[in-house]
This record gives sequence, C-alpha cells and structure tokens, in this order.
Amino acid sequence: MDSRVITITSGKGGVGKTTTTANLGTALAMEGKKVALIDGDIGLRNLDAVLGLENRIVYDLVDVVEGQCRLRQALIKDKRLPELYLLPAAQTRDKNAVNSIQMEQLCQQLRQEFDFVVIDSPAGIEQGFRNAIVGADEIIIVANPEMASVRDADRIIGLVEAAGKPEPRLILNRLRAEMIRRGDMMDVADVLEVLGIDLLGIVPEDEAIIVATNKGEPAVYEKRSRAGRAFLNAALRIIGQEVPLNELEESSTFLERLRRLVGFGPAPLEKRIRSQSS
Amino acid sequence: MGVFEFMVGRKKPTPGELAKERLKVVLVHDRLKLNPELLEAIKKELVSVVSRRLEIDEDQMQVSLAHEGGTDSLRTNVPIKRQKVKFEWDPPSHTPSSELRGKIHVEEGNE
Repeated sequence: MDSRVITITSGKGGVGKTTTTANLGTALAMEGKKVALIDGDIGLRNLDAVLGLENRIVYDLVDVVEGQCRLRQALIKDKRLPELYLLPAAQTRDKNAVNSIQMEQLCQQLRQEFDFVVIDSPAGIEQGFRNAIVGADEIIIVANPEMASVRDADRIIGLVEAAGKPEPRLILNRLRAEMIRRGDMMDVADVLEVLGIDLLGIVPEDEAIIVATNKGEPAVYEKRSRAGRAFLNAALRIIGQEVPLNELEESSTFLERLRRLVGFGPAPLEKRIRSQSS
Repeated sequence: MGVFEFMVGRKKPTPGELAKERLKVVLVHDRLKLNPELLEAIKKELVSVVSRRLEIDEDQMQVSLAHEGGTDSLRTNVPIKRQKVKFEWDPPSHTPSSELRGKIHVEEGNE
C-alpha cells in the first residue's frame, strides 16, 4: 500500500492546525482520495465541529485504543464526501490516555484502508504531539507570519528531526497582503529564510474561514474563498501536482499588476522564493 | 539588511523587518540552547586568554551570536588598548627576556 500518514502540527496554538487539517482532508477527498482524519487533541475535541460532524459522535479514539469498540464503529462518515472519515478525539479523558505505541498501531491499521491519514496534532510539545507524529510519514507545520508562531515552528522542526522524520513542509497561514506591502508583517520569503524548510502553501487571512467554521463546512467548498482555494492548492501539491505559489498575487491591486506587466513592480513571489532557495 | 545597519540610522526598519531580525537572534539562541550567562562565561574566558597577550578594553568587548548565509557564528569584537608585549630581546644572545609576559618557545636543533 502506498498510503500516506500526514501530521499537521505547529507548536503554538491558534495558528490554524484544525482548520488546515479539515480543509486539506476535505480537498484530498474531493480529489477522489480515501481519507481518514484523526483528531489528536484528546480532551479538547474540535475537528468534529469544523467538519460539522459534532452530532454524530458515538465512539472516539480512546475507545478504539482501549478496545471498547472496533475502529470501523468509531469512524464517522462525512456528510458530503463518501470517502472522507473522521476519528474524533475523546472529550472526557485526560490527554495521556493514549501512548505512542497504540497510536502507531492505529496508524498502521488505518493505512490498510485509506490513501491518506491526516492527523490534527494538539498544540505544545508534550505527549499529544509525540503521539501525533510517531506514525507519520510526513509532517506539515502550520505557522503564522509572527514571532511566537515562527519561533515555535522552529522548535518543532528540531523535534521532528530528532524523531527521525523527514524534513517538514510549511503552510504559512493567515497572511495579510496589505500589511506585508506596508512592511508591517513578515513576508513569505522572510519566514522561509528564517526556518529553512520547503513551502507547501500560502493561505491568506480570510473571513470566509470563520463563516465556514460557523456553518461546519470547510472553506475548500467555497470557490470564492481565497483561503479555501489556497488550501485546495496545497492539497493538490500534496498529491504531486505542480500548482504555482501565487496565492498572494491574486490579491494585488490592479495598478501593481499593471506595473509588473510593464516590468517595474516587485518580482512575483514565486520567483523571489525560488531565487532565495537556490 | 542587518540590525546594525538600522542602529547606525541608515534606515528605520519596518515592523516586518524588525520581527525578522529579532527572530533570527532569538532562534540562534534557542537552537544552541545558549543563555546570557553562558555567553558571559565565554566572554570571560576569551578575556583571560586574549589579555595574556594583549591589553584589551574589557568593557567595550562584545560577544554575540549571528546568523548569516545559513550558518551560525559567534562574533566577538575585542578592542585593544595598546600593545602589551614588547619584544625586548636580550642583546646580543637573542634569548627572550624573562620579563616578557608571553612565553615564546624556541625550538632548537630539530633541523
């Protein structure tokens, strides 16, 4: 089986791990992949609500691990996509109810049936984080372009390396093009220079994410949402498609596009990133 | 553009640039698990080694970490007060004076 286990993590809380997990998972399923999402945040269940599946939970991850139910019974089928499933986190248990060996076995079991297993890691670097990465083939780090988040991401990169996992890829979330243009926010190139890992996606700040979460429908369904399109692009890159990194370009003003066309404006983001990494 | 160029007043950094420069410094410390005390200890040891040969201005001495071109480096700035070692040879025998602070070992007969 060439199934892939991907963990979404960040170190810092509130940067968009759960949103990223829900959107990437949904996008992969929209592309015809069979996907299982695992909410790894035991005690603080949230992925179910982002997916709009909060009313369907009977069993959870801890029940499966403790043998109270079969894995198949705990997997909740998505409302829209027949190939998308969620394994919810336990709400009532303490966060050390599961150990790394159990988690690794669970990943192995899910590999038998799914193309992708996407794990939503809890914030922090304790047992929950370790459990989330132990069975992973790939790690995706979500960061915002601000100091605390990038600093924590750097710490996570070190821990992932120490765990013997391949170098993580970055999704830079909640970018505000207007602030970057004014110099009030770090640019994509700045963050990449500091962290030194490959970029998987750039997601602009978008109110549609809040609306989507309120409705319990991930933003990737919403074609007009720029964040939704950015997540879809990141998912396409995961399955090996070449999608240009132009998520921020779309937001540039008419005047800037005209200037670039004539050749006076700043180089497109993608070029700047390329030239930097070479 | 480094943080020192900003300090010289060449250009006021934007908040974005400031964040990047601060991050670079903090990450070098995080990665090496270096704290100010350890850096101070390194500084003291450097002072003791260098001052055996040169009279240095300890107060003006700077020891800091820098991250440039993909590598971390320890950067020191050691201002020298004046030359301490005077090469007062004992003429005409060319044996080093016993007053000389730095020891100079002369190998002989190994040719």
